Amino acid sequence: MKLKIILGLIICGLIFFGTFLFSQQEVVLTIREGVPAISLALPPFIHESSSSSAKQAAETIHQVLMDDLRYSRVFQLVPKEHLNYIRPLDPKQIFFKDWESIQTRILVVGEISLSQNKVVFEVKVYDVKSERMILGKRYQVEPDLFRLVAHRVADELMKLYGEKPFFTTKIVFVSNRDGNDELYMMDYDGANQTRLTFNKWRDYMPAWSPDQRAIVFTSYRAGNPDLYILYPYEGKLVPVSTKGTNFSGAFSPDGKKLAFCSSRDGNSEIYVANADGSNVRRITFNSAIDTAPSWSPTGREIAFTSDRTGTPQIYLMDAEGGNVRKVSFGGDYLDSPVWSPDGERIVFVSRVNNFFDLYILNLKTNKITKLTETNARNESPSWSPDGRHLVFSSNMSGTIQIYSIDYDGSNLRCLTSQGENKLPNWTN
Amino acid sequence: MKKVLVFLVVILLILSFSTSCKKKVKEVPPPPPAPQAVEQPKVEKVEEPVVKEPVLSEEEIFLKKSLEEINQTKPLAMIFFDYDKYNIREDAVPVLEANASWLKKFPTTKVLIEGHCDERGTEEYNLALGEKRAKSTMDYLVSLGIPAERIRIISYGKSQPLDPGHDEAAWAKNRRAQFLIIEK
Repeated sequence: MKLKIILGLIICGLIFFGTFLFSQQEVVLTIREGVPAISLALPPFIHESSSSSAKQAAETIHQVLMDDLRYSRVFQLVPKEHLNYIRPLDPKQIFFKDWESIQTRILVVGEISLSQNKVVFEVKVYDVKSERMILGKRYQVEPDLFRLVAHRVADELMKLYGEKPFFTTKIVFVSNRDGNDELYMMDYDGANQTRLTFNKWRDYMPAWSPDQRAIVFTSYRAGNPDLYILYPYEGKLVPVSTKGTNFSGAFSPDGKKLAFCSSRDGNSEIYVANADGSNVRRITFNSAIDTAPSWSPTGREIAFTSDRTGTPQIYLMDAEGGNVRKVSFGGDYLDSPVWSPDGERIVFVSRVNNFFDLYILNLKTNKITKLTETNARNESPSWSPDGRHLVFSSNMSGTIQIYSIDYDGSNLRCLTSQGENKLPNWTN
Repeated sequence: MKKVLVFLVVILLILSFSTSCKKKVKEVPPPPPAPQAVEQPKVEKVEEPVVKEPVLSEEEIFLKKSLEEINQTKPLAMIFFDYDKYNIREDAVPVLEANASWLKKFPTTKVLIEGHCDERGTEEYNLALGEKRAKSTMDYLVSLGIPAERIRIISYGKSQPLDPGHDEAAWAKNRRAQFLIIEK
C-alpha cells in the first residue's frame, strides 16, 4: 500500500515535471536521449481455450503490440530467447525474481478469453522491481479491431512513462491510387488506409488539427486552389479562403488558430485565421514568395519559407508577423520547415545537386544534421506527436511513396505501395 | 403547129405515166414501222438551287466553334521559364506579343493562364512559384494592352508535367505558362 502511494507520487511527479519541461521546451530532448530505453518483457499472450479465434486474437494483438513497442524508442524488448532461461509464465503466480534475473523492468501479461463468442483481452502491466501491477485493462474486441486494441495498450504504456502516446493517431496523406489526388488516412504503421475525399478534382496538402478531428487542405474542386476544412467524422466541409491560390494550411498547437498561405491580395503571403476560418489576418508583407508556415509548439512563433533574398530560405517570426529572422544559411533551396513537438528542432528540405534531403536544424546549438541520404527527392516531412519519428514522401524506390524514419536517421520504412502517395501529415 | 402541141402533150402524158408507174412498183414492199423512240417522255433531272454560303469572316468562323474546338487548335502558344525563375524570358516576348494580338483580334475572349513547375522543388514552393509565373505572364499581357478582367490565373505547381521525364529536357518543358480560352 505504502509502495503504491510512493509509486503514485513518483508518477505524478514525473508527469508534472514532464509538463514543466515541455513548457520550457529546450531541455526535453537532451534528457530523453540520455535516458536508456526501458527494458520490457512481452511474453506470448495466454489463451485459455483451444479455439482458433482466441489463438488468432492472441497472436495478432501480441504481434502488433510488439511492433509498436519496438518502434517506440522508449521501450527495449527483452529478447525472446531469454524467456527460456526462466520458469514459464503463470499469470496466477508470477515469479518476479525470475524476470528481474533477465533484466526485465516491465512485464506485460496478456490473456485472451472468449465470453459468449466475443474475444475479451485482458492486459496487466507489472513493475518487476516493486512486484506491483501498475496497469490493468480489459477490452472486448471485434476481430477487425485487434490492431487498434494493441495500439491502445501501447499508448497506455507510453502514458505510464510520461511519453506522448501516438499509436492510435492517424497520418493523413494524398494518393492517386483511385485515379486522381485524393485525401487518405492511415495508422502510423501504414495499416488501415482509408479514403477521405471522393471527387474528380485534386485534393491535396492536408494537415490535421491537433485533436485529429479536422483536416485543413487545398482543393481544386471549385476550379481554383481553395482552402477547406474537412471534418471527416462529421462529414462536414467548410471553405476557408477561396480567392487566389490558397495552401499550406497549419493549425496552431492549441487548435485555436489556422495559419495558411494565400495570394488573395495578389502575392503569396502568410495569413492567420481562427480555427474555423473566420477573422483572417495577413502577417507577412513582402513582394517575395512567403509560404509553408509551421507553428512553434508554444504557438508564439511561426517558421516559414521565403525567397526574399533570391532563393527560398527558412525564417522565423512571431505569430503576429513581427521579429522576422533568417535561420538558414548556406543552401540555395530550403523549404518545408516543420517545428518539432519539443520546440528545439526544425526539420526542413534542402536541395543539393538536384537531390532533395531532409535536414534537422537544432535551434539551441544552431547545428544542422542531415537526416536522409538517398540520392532522391525526399519531401514534405512531418513529426510524430512525440518528436522521435518523422514521415515524409520520397521517390527513392522510383515511385513516390510515404516513408517513416526516426529522428536520428535510423529505422527507415515504407508505409505505402498503391499508386503514388505523398504529402503525409502526422502532426503540425 | 397543132400537131406539135398534140405531140408535146402526148410526150408529157407518157412521161408522167411512166414516173407514176415506177413509183407504184417501188412501193410494193411496205416499209417496216419506225421504232417508237419519238413517243418517250423526256427525262427530267430533279434539281434544287444550292444555297451557297457567303465567305465567312474569321470572327464568324471563330464564334461558330466550341471552346473545346478553339482550345484544340492551341491559338495561344505556351511560354517557358528558367529554373526557379518567374521572369519573362526574351524568347517568350514574341510569343506573348502574338498571343496579345490574337486576344485583341477576338476581344470577347477570356483566358486562363496556368503556371506550372518542374518536379525539382517542394510542393509548397512550387505552387507559389507556378502562381508567380502565371502572374508575370498576365502582367506582360496587360502591359501589351489586354485588360486584366479578361485574364484569370491558376497555379498547378508541379502536379501536371507536360513531359513525364526526369531530365533537363523534360524539366525545361515543364517550367511553363500555358493558356486556356475559357470564354469567347
